[in-house]
Amino acid sequence: MADDLLRVNGLSKSFGNGMVIQDFGLSVDKGDVIAILGPSGAGKTTMLRCVSFLERADSGTMIFDGKEYSLSSPSRHDVLEFRKKTGFVFQNYNLFLNRTALGNVTEGLIVARKMSRKDAEEKGMELLSRVGLQDKGNSYPSELSGGQQQRVAIARAMASDPLMIFFDEPTSALDPELTGEVLSVMRKLAEDGMTMLVVTHEMGFARNVSDRVVFMEEGKVVEEAPSEKFFSSPEKERTREFLSTIMNQN
Amino acid sequence: MTIPLTVISFAIAMVIAVVTALVQFAGIRGLKELARFYVWVVRGTPLLVQLFVVFYGLPNIGILIDPFPAAVLVFSINEGAYSAETIRAALEAVPRGQMEAGECVGMTYLQIIRRIVLPQALRIAFPPLSNSLIAMVKDTSLAANITVTEMFMATQRIVARTYEPLALYIEVGIIYLIFCTVLTKLQRVGEKRLGTYGR
Repeated sequence: MADDLLRVNGLSKSFGNGMVIQDFGLSVDKGDVIAILGPSGAGKTTMLRCVSFLERADSGTMIFDGKEYSLSSPSRHDVLEFRKKTGFVFQNYNLFLNRTALGNVTEGLIVARKMSRKDAEEKGMELLSRVGLQDKGNSYPSELSGGQQQRVAIARAMASDPLMIFFDEPTSALDPELTGEVLSVMRKLAEDGMTMLVVTHEMGFARNVSDRVVFMEEGKVVEEAPSEKFFSSPEKERTREFLSTIMNQN
Repeated sequence: MTIPLTVISFAIAMVIAVVTALVQFAGIRGLKELARFYVWVVRGTPLLVQLFVVFYGLPNIGILIDPFPAAVLVFSINEGAYSAETIRAALEAVPRGQMEAGECVGMTYLQIIRRIVLPQALRIAFPPLSNSLIAMVKDTSLAANITVTEMFMATQRIVARTYEPLALYIEVGIIYLIFCTVLTKLQRVGEKRLGTYGR
């Protein structure tokens, strides 16, 4: 397991009334693109937020890039170190509304990484052109479509040269005709070898882009398999049920 | 005296308001309760009573403050409490997700507040704060009650000499109106210059 970039062990989390995640484990190799599927309420987003310290787990540990982290009580220093090596893309983009597209990408570089404005802007423009928005650098988020905003958010997540990017339902807030542009940026990112953990409802992405699928329900992993196998010959009855429901909808 | 009283008091009030609002927004234990108590007391008592307590009351326990500084003190504290509520509401109106996004790009809490949340909140709070400033220009006339010779007190003195209350009080009213009209215009210009981040 030399290529093991991320390994989560024994992650549990409950909110007041009930258990949301129970003893969740996951390992991600360098360059892996993993799709997390499951019905709503399965704990997918909560899992992703716990792993990236946006939420504190009740218990669990994680090894990331060879360093061990506590998911329940990480030190501030550990969290900052982890953030420097990762990016996060939100369902609602969460762009800084008082910054332009370029400003959104450079903000972290200038403030958190003390990069000079000039270098940051050069890098920012390069990233914006990678997501196809080189001519939108001076636009504010309110002047961009949802798809464009999400692409800016992806450029922002890429700015720190992360080892891994987390995606929390990146296309769920988008109009159907806008999901394509975001997915194609993600596909390109995957082809470039980025390690990605993607909570999604996009079956096409899970099937064609991701290497592996983790199917979750009620806070537990039901089935985990290479994407091809997951869709063509799922092992568990519950997985087959889920897939047939999804496929019938489409 | 009306103008310096308003300008100095409002400037101090803004500092108090931002600090009080941030303490509550960030939920700093101890300080948050203190901020709430302050806002509760100040908003719950009349401005005139506050002026009298400070100017006529405090000398009882040996604290003597000159009229002008006493007025500045009371107006800043009073306005600070009201504006703190305005700014707190504005802070809460800034979409929260941006704070998480800031965390994820490695910014500290203070950096996120200072660079992302507070600028947006002040933009939101600008119209209501302008409104408070305009109200304050007129409230300063209450300072006449603690012997500050601001515009209203000066008018009263002239009236006592000339026995022309109607003309003089209407005249002073018109001067307040002119001040406030200028401020309203400035507010418009300010709102334009602050921009709306592309909206």
